[in-house]
Amino acid sequence: MVLAALALARHSQAGQEPVPVALERRLAERLGAWAGDTIRVALEAGGAGQLVVVAAVYEPTPDPASVTRRDLTLRFHLPDLAALLGTPDRVNRFGIVLHPGVSPDDAAGDLNRVAFGFRAAPSAAIAGESSQTFRVVSRFHSAIAIIAVGASAIFLLCIMLLKVEERRRDAAVMRFIGVRPRTIFVALLLEALLVAGLGSVIGVLLAAAAAAMTNWYYQGLFDTALTFASITPGILRFSILVSLVLGVGAGALAARRLVRTNPHVLWGRG
Amino acid sequence: MTWWRNLLRHPLRSALAVAGITVTTAMLLDMVLLGGGLERSFERLLLGRGYQIRVSPSGTLPFDTETTIPGAAALRLGLEADPEVTGVAPVLGASVFARAGDTLVAVFAYGIDPEVQAIYQPLSGSDLAAGDSLGVLLSAPAAARLGMAPGDTLVLVGRLDPQLATAAIERRLVVRGVARLLYDSRGQLSLVALLPVVQSLAGLREEDRVSAFVVRARSDDQADAVTARLRSAHPGIEVNSVTDMVRHFRERLVYFRQLSYILGSISLVVTVLLVTTLMTITVNERLGEIATLRAIGVSRATVVRSVMLEGATLTVVGGGLGIVLGLATARYLDAILTTFPGLPAAISFFVPEPDRLLLAGVVLFLAGVGAGVYPAIIAARAPIADTLRAEAT
Amino acid sequence: MSPQPGEIALRAIELRKDYPMNGETVHALRGVSLEVRRGEYVAIVGPSGSGKSTLLQLLGGLDEPSAGSVLVDGVALAGLDDRTLTRLRLTRLGFVFQRFHLLPVLTAIENVELPLSEAGVSRAERRARALELLGYVGLAERAAHRATQLSGGEMQRVAIARALANRPAVILADEPTGELDAATGRSMLELFRRLNQDGTTLVVITHDEHLAAEAGRVVHMLDGRIAVGRQG
Repeated sequence: MVLAALALARHSQAGQEPVPVALERRLAERLGAWAGDTIRVALEAGGAGQLVVVAAVYEPTPDPASVTRRDLTLRFHLPDLAALLGTPDRVNRFGIVLHPGVSPDDAAGDLNRVAFGFRAAPSAAIAGESSQTFRVVSRFHSAIAIIAVGASAIFLLCIMLLKVEERRRDAAVMRFIGVRPRTIFVALLLEALLVAGLGSVIGVLLAAAAAAMTNWYYQGLFDTALTFASITPGILRFSILVSLVLGVGAGALAARRLVRTNPHVLWGRG
Repeated sequence: MTWWRNLLRHPLRSALAVAGITVTTAMLLDMVLLGGGLERSFERLLLGRGYQIRVSPSGTLPFDTETTIPGAAALRLGLEADPEVTGVAPVLGASVFARAGDTLVAVFAYGIDPEVQAIYQPLSGSDLAAGDSLGVLLSAPAAARLGMAPGDTLVLVGRLDPQLATAAIERRLVVRGVARLLYDSRGQLSLVALLPVVQSLAGLREEDRVSAFVVRARSDDQADAVTARLRSAHPGIEVNSVTDMVRHFRERLVYFRQLSYILGSISLVVTVLLVTTLMTITVNERLGEIATLRAIGVSRATVVRSVMLEGATLTVVGGGLGIVLGLATARYLDAILTTFPGLPAAISFFVPEPDRLLLAGVVLFLAGVGAGVYPAIIAARAPIADTLRAEAT
Repeated sequence: MSPQPGEIALRAIELRKDYPMNGETVHALRGVSLEVRRGEYVAIVGPSGSGKSTLLQLLGGLDEPSAGSVLVDGVALAGLDDRTLTRLRLTRLGFVFQRFHLLPVLTAIENVELPLSEAGVSRAERRARALELLGYVGLAERAAHRATQLSGGEMQRVAIARALANRPAVILADEPTGELDAATGRSMLELFRRLNQDGTTLVVITHDEHLAAEAGRVVHMLDGRIAVGRQG
């Protein structure tokens, strides 16, 4: 982190040509500085620092790793930053492009065998390390989802059971007038399928609305273009399948109980 | 005397309701614990050694960046000048290397003043003494990784030059003991030595740089006032009280807080919906019975009480089981979240404190009672004659 | 001050009841006046739709008349708040329904205890009274059986015991033999006769000629009016 303090100076100082920098959009907005403006950059609060000219304002690539940190970034040409830091010819890291066909793991291994004071790592390994946070969040979401799916499943079972039991008297009347139990069972099952199907469609629409709201809210909160909630085809398939299977399963269970019960008991004269 | 037998009339229905309430209560409890636990855990960590104020480079939080504060000794004197300040502990954090056979192991080094330190608790061996510039304490993971125990000699290397393949500085220190570093993440390799030792290793001795100061005020009540005074007296640095730190922490972990509110609310809504739906259907099925009871002189209050008691019983039974399940799942979820990289191992996301449990219990009970209101109204308002007439046909 | 035999236990004055149905007004009762003396056994008969059940519901304070008034033990039901009216039903009136309406989750004795419990009678006292009443209707040995384990006749006997629990001034019975077979219905006649002989005031709606024949007075209803009254 280079940026210890920034002070806006709209005038340019004579005798020293300000070096160009690029500001990320949020920083530019915070400072009220735009392309062509000159600002003072210092390592310490109140330090002399140096003047730089804003050559560009850019929208940073959305990075979930720093979304809550709200770090603000400005970019120098490497020699300019090294000069500001007083550490010429010193860098944090090198990115290395390999010839086609060379394994990054082998190349990193070769470099590490002769390394002193640095470490080489394939990009994939670094990406894996830096995505650890998201793997944790993802595991947490999965655990929460299991609980939520459990609760929803029970709720669905309960509702479908009640929905079918609500038809006790209808079923009794149908039995009294000679309708076969099988016909009643199929009718109740179709009704359960209809309710579960309709519920799934409404549920998907609600989820889409909730996802849109979540994205709208968090994109505003963190001032980022990141997507926070998305309904993937896999999630869609899973949700619909679970609700249909549970809905129809519970409906079938309740309908079976109903058609096996004496119609007089169903009617309430048992 | 009928309310609990009514619940047993449809055992499958009641069992499903209890199961549903159990799961939603577990979720609600977890979210209540998550909502406040993280902050409490963080606050407790920060106040663990009685230091209420943190001083860091301007625009940063302690150890959030590699930025350091120069002129530490002078600034320390300035901070100590406040009459309400009773202790100022400087801390420098820097990456160094420890020799382990032929290899170099990267270790995070804390430089401290043993007379005023707020970042560790000795576990075994002896503590660092004031002026002990040859001593070092290791974190338990570091001691294990380096295979060292109190009395062993540790070679530390600072500022490596890859081009010359040499170290600019090397120090031989004796391991005095093993300590628990309060702010370390799980498995972190770290060590503690005197501030000048770590400054030398990191090349920050000349400018007398530190990462942060940890400041103790005479009383907790004074902490915010002292923070404000230090802030105005030293505008070039960042001064935060624990309250401020917790606020920053909260902002950074706003996601978990909001998630807890959203999921907690959904859990409550599902619980209320479940109990209300179940009770409404049950009451509608029993309207004839209710009309009979009213006809033979049973008061509205008795009918309402019976229905509410049924709802409350489902909620209490499901809620009780839910609290047990919730505590178990909280431990599981905590085990997942505390693997966050860089998070102090002492932080817990779910803190089952009595007041949070009570809050969850009260909210749930009110939800259960509230859920019984609508069906109870239906029961109370059932027109006796019409219902009996409908029953007869 | 409790009423003496021969006093009016129940009085209906010019009762009218209108229902809105499918946009039209149905006149269920068109001005019915009736007096029932203490200790009297009155049967109300008439074809379906003649207003018998509506009359019984108005007499029992289960519904409000569109016009006219009902007095139980000299107390006018009109104007009573729900709490007082409920209390009056609990203590001064007993109901017997065609379909028994016992609580299926309770045993026979618990069903009889229910109105006693509501009236605030102590546990020991209500248990003793319920047992006594079950003995009176011949069901002491079935006291611990769930309502669902009883036959139709037994359920109706429990319902009668329940109606008698708080020593009401009048028992109002709506087709008490309607759901029973002939033999059970006959045993019910005897029970009603015994009840009346023991001083209980009875108002019974029935299609059952035998039951009506037991009554001291038979009131015939037709089209919401009392067509003719016969002293038995």
